[in-house]
Amino acid sequence: MLAEAASPVENNPGDSGEAVPPDKDRDGGTGMNQGIGVSAGIGIGRAVVLRGKDLDYSMVVPKGSREEKRRLHEAIASFRERTERDAEEIRARAGEKQAEILLAQIMMIGDPFMVSQMEDLIVQGACAEKAVDTVCGMYIDMFSSVEDEVTRQRATDVRDMRARLLGLLLGQPVFDPRALPAGSVLVVRDLTPSMTSGLGREQAAALVAETGGMTSHSAILARAMSIPAVLGLAGVTERIADGDLVIVDGTGGVVLPRPDSETLDSYRRRKEKLLADRAALEAFRESPTRTADHHEVLLCCNIGSDQDVKAVLESGGEGIGLFRTEFLFMDRSAPPGEAEQFEIYRRVVEAAGEREVIIRTLDIGGDKAVGYLGMEREENPFLGYRGIRYCLGRPDFFSVQLRALLRASAFGRLKIMLPLVTCADELRQTRAILSKLMADLEQEGVPFQRGVPLGIMIETPAAALIADILARESDFFSIGTNDLVQYTMAVDRGNGKVAYLYSPLNPSVLRSIRSVIRAGHEAGIPVGMCGESAADSRLIPLLLAFGLDEFSVGASSVLETRRAISRWTLTEARHLADEVMKLSSADGIEAYLSAAIEDHR
Amino acid sequence: MVSKTLAVINKMGFHMRPASLFVGAMAKYPDTDIRILHNGREIDGKSIMNLMAACIKYGAEIEIRCSGNQEQAMLAEAVSLVENKLGDSD
Repeated sequence: MLAEAASPVENNPGDSGEAVPPDKDRDGGTGMNQGIGVSAGIGIGRAVVLRGKDLDYSMVVPKGSREEKRRLHEAIASFRERTERDAEEIRARAGEKQAEILLAQIMMIGDPFMVSQMEDLIVQGACAEKAVDTVCGMYIDMFSSVEDEVTRQRATDVRDMRARLLGLLLGQPVFDPRALPAGSVLVVRDLTPSMTSGLGREQAAALVAETGGMTSHSAILARAMSIPAVLGLAGVTERIADGDLVIVDGTGGVVLPRPDSETLDSYRRRKEKLLADRAALEAFRESPTRTADHHEVLLCCNIGSDQDVKAVLESGGEGIGLFRTEFLFMDRSAPPGEAEQFEIYRRVVEAAGEREVIIRTLDIGGDKAVGYLGMEREENPFLGYRGIRYCLGRPDFFSVQLRALLRASAFGRLKIMLPLVTCADELRQTRAILSKLMADLEQEGVPFQRGVPLGIMIETPAAALIADILARESDFFSIGTNDLVQYTMAVDRGNGKVAYLYSPLNPSVLRSIRSVIRAGHEAGIPVGMCGESAADSRLIPLLLAFGLDEFSVGASSVLETRRAISRWTLTEARHLADEVMKLSSADGIEAYLSAAIEDHR
Repeated sequence: MVSKTLAVINKMGFHMRPASLFVGAMAKYPDTDIRILHNGREIDGKSIMNLMAACIKYGAEIEIRCSGNQEQAMLAEAVSLVENKLGDSD
């Protein structure tokens, strides 16, 4: 939602546009322009199409090996200069991690062995272009054929490097995104880091590319800059011409070139509405989270990596309600050690400053197997060796994470949370490990916070039923609704035949949530919720009525959630909850809530 | 020619950063050649492209061969880099 309204169309001179009739020939019919929406929002503007440049060098006549070598080194030098500048700029705008991709290219172009291979070809009579093309092509093949995913992606870097070196050698003008007319829709084959580095919201109303997907580098950058983007649209550079008026719906993944006036009007209205909604939501960015009668609750965010903290702070989140540490353990060949984990946890709590950070210990199991952890495929992964069970089964492994967490606790308001707890013993065993680790750290003179809070996820019916027992030994609860619904209803949401049962509005789930919050409060501990339901506008009044202390949602849902909370007084919410809890079915509850919320506005 | 066989002990293996640290250090020996033998292949130890493409992982056994003017010093530094986890913390 955040990115949608941020699309930069308001001050767009290219969008004075009179609509033109759709050109069926070039469109090749409708439906052809459904791509992957990777960055939300609507952008409308004039197309600037960059077709894969013609890098044909067959007409180049080699001018002798001395001259060709000079040309090669000149091209390498300007490549390096430009890339260093771009890397600097990306670092400033999007962060260290994004800049690394360009730093890799700088490192590669400095490979003396590769350059000497190019020189060898020149000595044998090739022009500089041929030398670059051949040698880069060899490395592209080499990288493409390896098994390791991360290494395989290097092929893309070499491809980008080859195209830019050839462009330089052929004297083609270097594409400079800073020179784009304001409000352009950039349409390209591959959105390379070198293209996006100088690109800002002023120039780009939207981005469209033939290649790429949700996780590609360009998608990450587009989201970081809140530019609507649709990728993976094969052949789009052939279907859109320079100067075409284009609508890009980054939410739906749709690109509409040369829209008729009706379509254009409807998208402009949608865009206006998004912007108006955005402006209204803005009012909630700096305000505290409270009900209409000024009862305050805590509104935190769920994150999946240390990189996400920035978005949380920008979105107005009041803390981190759930840091999933799984990402640290994935896509690698060995588990992260204590030092690496400590660095990441410390970075997160330091970035959060005064705000509290709840870090969940590794929640992994047979359904998301990590090769090197030696997990076996299981018949029933959701009922198997996972979450806290796996960690307690490997105390040495678990201790690495706990020690890193303890050490990081000296740097901010860190809380530790255990996943998938079903009995008090799991909590006790973890406390025993923590005590031992604390004694070690003390002896070593390593700082940590002695009273670091230890809490648990309530996401199994077992935990919900003994919440009163667990509350005596736990410092806080966080209700994980996704799993709680699945386990309470005994339903696999991925199974289409039974997915209709998967709803937090089932009376069983609501009763469970209510009694967990009550049990927590009776023992004097705070209760939060970190599942998708915490941002569900239908559930919000019920959660307020039950007394939930902390809502933890995705960073993009903060403002919506804060607004939804502000709409209710506690008295109204309690009255609504009283009525809802008398109902006997999820359907009935849903209908009742929808009507009540509609009325309430 | 001098050589030594050893295991790669940093957990990420020769990924980009360790590889660039390694080739950066080896560039200080312009007159000495370095080869890394891994999985029956011979890799130029001054080439980051070839080092990365070789996908040398955690636990892999490699043989480092140096030959030339400064072969002793170069081998010692190469071995020490690998033994010190190529600059990785783990």
